[in-house]
Amino acid sequence: MAGLELLSDQGYRVDGRRAGELRKIQARMGVFAQADGSAYIEQGNTKALAVVYGPHEIRGSRARALPDRALVNCQYSSATFSTGERKRRPHGDRKSCEMGLQLRQTFEAAILTQLHPRSQIDIYVQVLQADGGTYAACVNAATLAVLDAGIPMRDFVCACSAGFVDGTALADLSHVEEAAGGPQLALALLPASGQIALLEMDARLHEDHLERVLEAAAQAARDVHTLLDRVVRQHVREASILLGD
Amino acid sequence: MAPPVRYCIPGERLCNLEEGSPGSGTYTRHGYIFSSLAGCLMKSSENGALPVVSVVRETESQLLPDVGAIVTCKVSSINSRFAKVHILYVGSMPLKNSFRGTIRKEDVRATEKDKVEIYKSFRPGDIVLAKVISLGDAQSNYLLTTAENELGVVVAHSESGIQMVPISWCEMQCPKTHTKEFRKVARVQPEFLQT
Repeated sequence: MAGLELLSDQGYRVDGRRAGELRKIQARMGVFAQADGSAYIEQGNTKALAVVYGPHEIRGSRARALPDRALVNCQYSSATFSTGERKRRPHGDRKSCEMGLQLRQTFEAAILTQLHPRSQIDIYVQVLQADGGTYAACVNAATLAVLDAGIPMRDFVCACSAGFVDGTALADLSHVEEAAGGPQLALALLPASGQIALLEMDARLHEDHLERVLEAAAQAARDVHTLLDRVVRQHVREASILLGD
Repeated sequence: MAPPVRYCIPGERLCNLEEGSPGSGTYTRHGYIFSSLAGCLMKSSENGALPVVSVVRETESQLLPDVGAIVTCKVSSINSRFAKVHILYVGSMPLKNSFRGTIRKEDVRATEKDKVEIYKSFRPGDIVLAKVISLGDAQSNYLLTTAENELGVVVAHSESGIQMVPISWCEMQCPKTHTKEFRKVARVQPEFLQT
């Protein structure tokens, strides 16, 4: 028989999950004291750290200042030890630039930038361990960090990835499923209003199946929202207790 | 007994616009009020008007100087047309990062604007109370004014390094060498004093 069987006859995946099941998600807010906001998230074996500074004065070229809203600056990096083979990537390589631009688009849609004109919000995301779904973990970590910084947001963004194997839509892909080369869809969603902040797809997928894969990713993002909702409320409650409210 | 605290997160719908008016930490869309911060829900009403719905955060977030805010700044450089300052406090709140501002010659005092000389009003290192009048443009940052009696220099050191004592609205004197130097002196209000 040929190749790896991503979906067994009984409907289980390589790691024992069902098609629409998420990996285990753990998250913490406020992990760094010197940053304005910070968060750490684990989605399965994918681990990401995010820190947020701002809103503060525009640094560097002042020509980038926007008179009516804040400038969102996002940078993505992955640690050399985050993948199976150790690799030192130079700053500004193609993947980092692309991921930074995607994160920036995502958070420009979510943050109420018009409240802080002529200022800058910095978001730095680092991946400590990569096991598939890197973009989704970065978005989820960064949205918790932005919340921790107290920056007003329209809604907080939840992201998830989805794939398509043997006529079935899979949610929250792992590295094995990504490496198999099937279609991969990454979705960032504002769950309260149902708006899509970012949508990206590679490989080929017939149009008839796109709706199903999109629905699987959206459902997974709403499930992520439920989990992050719990984390945020717990953090807010702890902050109240610590301050003796 | 106070009602239990209700926590809300961004994107959560609080009420519609007929039940309350939006306050800080909220935004409106399609006739509803949504939360934009993670914190506690607060409702305050006066004189039977619509209650103001706002979301209050326990820990304070980063503060930005706004138009009309009283700021405390330190003069970093001067020339004949303006003084460059670093904004250190907004009101009584210290800033994590300093913001750059400019006090122009025309904004030093309200009277006799054509006779103002910057080096007789500020020196580098002085601590100045000022008010924000503009967010500035591409060439400059916050535009500040000291054209009020309560605004101006509050702390200045003489050439020998001793902190000087204000003796009039435009003069300060060194208690050691008795040298008099010109400054635009602030008449400091008691609420601004911190000991």
